[in-house]
Amino acid sequence: MDARTIIESLTGKFPEIISETEIESEIRVRAHTDRAMAKEVCQYLKDSLQFGHLCSICGVDYPKRNEMEVVYHIASYDHPVVLTLKAVLSRDSPEIESVVPVYWNANWYERETYELYGIVFKNHPDLRPLLLPEEMLGEWPLRKDYEGFPNKTARNLV
Amino acid sequence: MEEYVGSDEMILHLGPQHPMQPGPFRLNLKLKGESVLDADVELGYIHKGIEKILENKTYLQGITIVDRICYLVALTNEECFVGCVEKLAGIEVPKRAQYIRVIIEELSRLQSHLLGLGEFGEFIGFVSMFMYTIREREEVLSLIDMVTGARVTHTYLRFGGVRQDLPEGFREKTLPVLNSLKKTITDYEEMFHSDSIYRERSVGVGTLTADIAKDLGVSGPALRATGVPFDIRKAEPYLVYEDLDFKVCTETAGDIFARIQVRLNEMRESIYLIEQCLDRIPSGPIFPANTPYGRRTPVMRVPAGEVFHRVEDPRGEMGMYMISDGSDKPYRVKVRGPYFPTLQALPPLIIGTTVADVAAISGSMDGCTSEADR
Repeated sequence: MDARTIIESLTGKFPEIISETEIESEIRVRAHTDRAMAKEVCQYLKDSLQFGHLCSICGVDYPKRNEMEVVYHIASYDHPVVLTLKAVLSRDSPEIESVVPVYWNANWYERETYELYGIVFKNHPDLRPLLLPEEMLGEWPLRKDYEGFPNKTARNLV
Repeated sequence: MEEYVGSDEMILHLGPQHPMQPGPFRLNLKLKGESVLDADVELGYIHKGIEKILENKTYLQGITIVDRICYLVALTNEECFVGCVEKLAGIEVPKRAQYIRVIIEELSRLQSHLLGLGEFGEFIGFVSMFMYTIREREEVLSLIDMVTGARVTHTYLRFGGVRQDLPEGFREKTLPVLNSLKKTITDYEEMFHSDSIYRERSVGVGTLTADIAKDLGVSGPALRATGVPFDIRKAEPYLVYEDLDFKVCTETAGDIFARIQVRLNEMRESIYLIEQCLDRIPSGPIFPANTPYGRRTPVMRVPAGEVFHRVEDPRGEMGMYMISDGSDKPYRVKVRGPYFPTLQALPPLIIGTTVADVAAISGSMDGCTSEADR
């Protein structure tokens, strides 16, 4: 299965939902998905396009656009293509459906993204902080406007 | 984990500091007698905020920071970070530098596997194993030290090349070490194969099947031990791995014994790779000609864009997702370490086994908590 087939299949199945597709190279493709359908898109990728390996989930903060992105990197054991799937969220109430029912190992990635960015994953089985202590919840340290770094740390140490 | 514990059940906290652990994490075990009913991992004891720090450092400074993700595999972390920047900036690495990188990264794989084997031996009560492997690892570390000038955190790779060329007499010093290592690996293998206690503790314990391993997202030796030939060096070749001859080591059983066997075989492949590189390495520059990149890289601005680059770490698939906004610092770096999903898969693996096997199973994964925490 090559990059072009994957993009065609994806846009054919979800014409309204998938946008801004781009074939970066033979083994890298990018696409944007509507945030409400992220889980369904992942399910289709896993069932029909052999994307069985979730590499990572991460958040990216864009305060200038007042948006946040959730970025899924999904790879496969059967073909070499890695798909970068992005869902754009509003920065005021970042919420998205959890993909844990599709990819089991999304659990910790979503917990991590939640504690670092404040992105809420709906219907996650156990959404509590993973790396940070409970007291840090609400600081959202990886957001660009986080005050704690370097202001709350000794300047000459960073 | 449920709070209520029945009268014949108890909760045992393993860690955060425990000799059987590869680093500080807390393992809460719910036990009935000696069997594990439920397990839960708590992380965060050495969270360093690497991803946030990288956003506040220039690209060149970032090389030093990614070293600290995990001290055992500093060179593969560097390769991943430097590879991201090279892809974004479109830098071609000269052949000689690529060969040097392969040599040094395979040496790094050797020392990581050696320490992993030793630690695993210690976890199952075979403490002399640690003494054996640490002795061999020292030899490999001296070779790395000879090239990079440091034993564990090297800051050796540069954008477009490596900091300095191989020293005089490197080949002459490396070959005897590799030859003696070949013999030692066979010795280890014999030791593992002939010891009946070891076999009892490892054969059929902590078994993963290929489908479950794929679902859990584990990679590296733990996945290859189930029979899935998934190796980034083959699936998505970087550097000169395409031109080199090596095979992806797999086993089919998926238990502890198979994982250790995969590591032993991989060490042989690494030695073979280094020997090929030493024979084939061309002469020439170690930095691309007519570019500003060199030993003293100036403050560089990387063109705006994003990239996801993967390399094969001794523990599995290491990936970094880098977004550049055109300034001298990365806008966002996501580190996808291989041990993070493997550690996540630990609770389902140990539920149903006994406390004594927990150490063996967790040890056979060859972990590095520092990298899971970042």
